[in-house]
Amino acid sequence: MTPEQIPETGGYMVAAYIVAAVILLAYTVMLWRRGSAKTKS
Amino acid sequence: MTLVQRGRWVTVIALLLLGGVYVRALVFTPEERLQGLAQKIYYVHVPSSWSAMLAMGLLGLASILFLFLKDPRYDRFAAASAEVGTAFSLVMLTTGPLWAKPIWGTWWTWDARLTLTLMMFFMFVGYLVLRGAVTDPALRARYSAVLGICGLVLLPFIHLSVYLFRTLHPMPIVLKPSAPSAPPAMVITLLSSFAVFTLLYVGFVMQRYALGEASNDA
Repeated sequence: MTPEQIPETGGYMVAAYIVAAVILLAYTVMLWRRGSAKTKS
Repeated sequence: MTLVQRGRWVTVIALLLLGGVYVRALVFTPEERLQGLAQKIYYVHVPSSWSAMLAMGLLGLASILFLFLKDPRYDRFAAASAEVGTAFSLVMLTTGPLWAKPIWGTWWTWDARLTLTLMMFFMFVGYLVLRGAVTDPALRARYSAVLGICGLVLLPFIHLSVYLFRTLHPMPIVLKPSAPSAPPAMVITLLSSFAVFTLLYVGFVMQRYALGEASNDA
């Protein structure tokens, strides 16, 4: 099979990697902020 | 160094390693011939599912230990694991449809594996809602431990659902008795991602556990 016949599905891959990174980074920031707020109080 | 600070360090290291996994998966791992680049969603979807199931498994075990030993540390750990498991479930449930659409032609189908993983997500959310709804700490710990054990019972059904039912979802490629059915370059990327997602779980739980400890509450 030639490379031309490989399906064009790169957009879905990019979207999945971005979504995963956003969720994990958002949760990291959320935990960080909650930890900082607890330390101050 | 406090537990929350150690948890932050573990999380930062895990996130840096996750960046490395992204580079390895996107640049240095070969493209699958039939699915194209969408197959690379595998390297975030499967490890996030693993971390979600790890979270549910440890939540269930901590719940059993709490009911036997009445040690509030197990209850606090269970609450931490539930919250972290929700985050990983969210990654699993968003990357899964993004992979399914180009390969199956649909974002979602109500087959056994997908429905059971959605149930696991609702178990996590239900667990957190229950904890928020019950004000008495002793009752809250006992009720949520029972729900945590129900979640643990779900795990074998999720793993075995692809064998027990007709499903579109692929069979395990690595977590099975025989040798992995993928080229070594793909298996190495997948195993690296498993390790990083596990480390990320540890970092998140350390921070979340410390938060519960600081407020003397879960």
